[in-house]
Amino acid sequence: MSFITAYCQITERSCTINGEIVSEKNEQSGESWFKQLYKELAVDYPKFYKMDLLAQAGFIGSELIKKADQDRLVTYGDDEIALLFANQESSADTDIRFKESYEDKKAPSPSLFVYTLPNIVLGEIAIRNKWFGENMFAVLPKFAPEFFVQYGSILLANDSKAILAGWLGILDGKIQVFVFLVEENAQSGIPLNKENLIKYTGFIDQV
Amino acid sequence: MTYIGAEEIVSPLGQNTQENFLAVRENRSGISLISDAGFNKESVHLAKITLIETSNKFEFLLVDILKKISANIDASCILSERTIVIISSTKGDLDRDIADPFGPSLVALVKRFKLANQPIVVSNACISGVLAINAGNNFIKAGVYDHAVVIGCDVISDFVLYGFQSLFAVSSTPCAPFDANRNGITLGEGCSAVVLSNTKDIFKNSPLKLFTGTSANDANHISGPSRTGEGLYRTVKRTLEKSEISPDEIDFISAHGTATVFNDEMEAIAFDRLHMSGIPLNSLKGYFGHTLGAAGVIETAISMQMMRNNLLVKSLGYSQSGTSKTLNIVTENMPSELNTILKTASGFGGCNASLVFRKI
Repeated sequence: MSFITAYCQITERSCTINGEIVSEKNEQSGESWFKQLYKELAVDYPKFYKMDLLAQAGFIGSELIKKADQDRLVTYGDDEIALLFANQESSADTDIRFKESYEDKKAPSPSLFVYTLPNIVLGEIAIRNKWFGENMFAVLPKFAPEFFVQYGSILLANDSKAILAGWLGILDGKIQVFVFLVEENAQSGIPLNKENLIKYTGFIDQV
Repeated sequence: MTYIGAEEIVSPLGQNTQENFLAVRENRSGISLISDAGFNKESVHLAKITLIETSNKFEFLLVDILKKISANIDASCILSERTIVIISSTKGDLDRDIADPFGPSLVALVKRFKLANQPIVVSNACISGVLAINAGNNFIKAGVYDHAVVIGCDVISDFVLYGFQSLFAVSSTPCAPFDANRNGITLGEGCSAVVLSNTKDIFKNSPLKLFTGTSANDANHISGPSRTGEGLYRTVKRTLEKSEISPDEIDFISAHGTATVFNDEMEAIAFDRLHMSGIPLNSLKGYFGHTLGAAGVIETAISMQMMRNNLLVKSLGYSQSGTSKTLNIVTENMPSELNTILKTASGFGGCNASLVFRKI
């Protein structure tokens, strides 16, 4: 049986891991909310500052899940962890900024352009962790728990032993991030099914 | 077993599979010099569909290809609740709604064809097409659906062209994959579809057998290909092992071959490591340009036609080896019994994917 063994939620104001609040946004800080979360992670990974918000969201979610149980992911082979992510707006947050770079500033920005694909976040997570496993980024009209259950189960029935999955809703200041880990051979956890995904994401209004 | 068939293509080379394959077998390219196209109003080589004048080209192409596909199969399958439509695309119709690049077109498609299930969009850079076919196959094998219609579609936009220009990745001449003088991509646009099914009877022409494909990340760089070809090496190795096919059973490789210096070098290294560099190989980018999310489906469809016609098709734009490991690039059309074909793709974000299909 496959279990959700860790999950992380990030909204505009707070960040929780396995349902416990770990951070709340400091409105007085001059730093962005994701940079506040990065500093609290206390990892040394300067590439974070070059990432767009979509990639930063996936990076923080994956790092928090690793941090919650330091031994959990190291037992897997470097191609046994699949990445399965989705959202509704693709890379629109950065697409809008890239369009501004050539329409308003008259200088198309190559550093923005390379983030105008939603799967770049998968590349960032793979690079960070040296993971060579399966990748999939899907764009869906709304949060679809069945997609994660069905395709997650398919990946586990093939060669993947664990799945780092997530919904990364990032657009124009809106933050609706849910990153979760599914493991095939876990002893316990939250059974991977539609009802549990609706319950733990809290995206009930969308489904 | 999963069958693959009913392939259709709309591109600058034609409005259907027959027209496209005729152009390819005559070694005609869809690439032409388009004036005022670039960021500085310079002329740029593009593979642009000039016959279709509509503001919603992306939606138009999706509807058009699904109509054409319907004629190649038992059309009632399209409406079935046992059918999933999977769209592979990088940018959809971003000129229509940049904040929702797929939504309006998909709503129109679902309504027009009364699709029973919400289509899934696979947006995974340039491997989207191969990944979408693999996903469709996985859904069928898992019993979630009986049939999958996989549609790859991307259209040329200022957004994407200016972006590749900003990376200095656009070729000054029609792209020349794997050639010593290659210097970048030529953007293209197109739409292609294939049907996957667990039932042979739905196809009007004989389908082919599709094996389980895989994907793998390079874990190296978000926009630069791996210097060791690690991700491509791993996905091909995994796909062959899962299918219990040995490299010497592969009659032809339909490579990605974007014609950037680093991508083609990476692919040559990966195929050398796999001991597959002697297998006849081409890139179809010289015919269709790089159609991004559509590329994997278009190139699979053309490879299926090559198999049906037992014809190796010349890798257009290639004349002299330009990679550190020499590949067996097809330099002239050549009749050849093609029983088993490997299709690969690689893209930004370090992603790589592969699939194999075979004559029944």
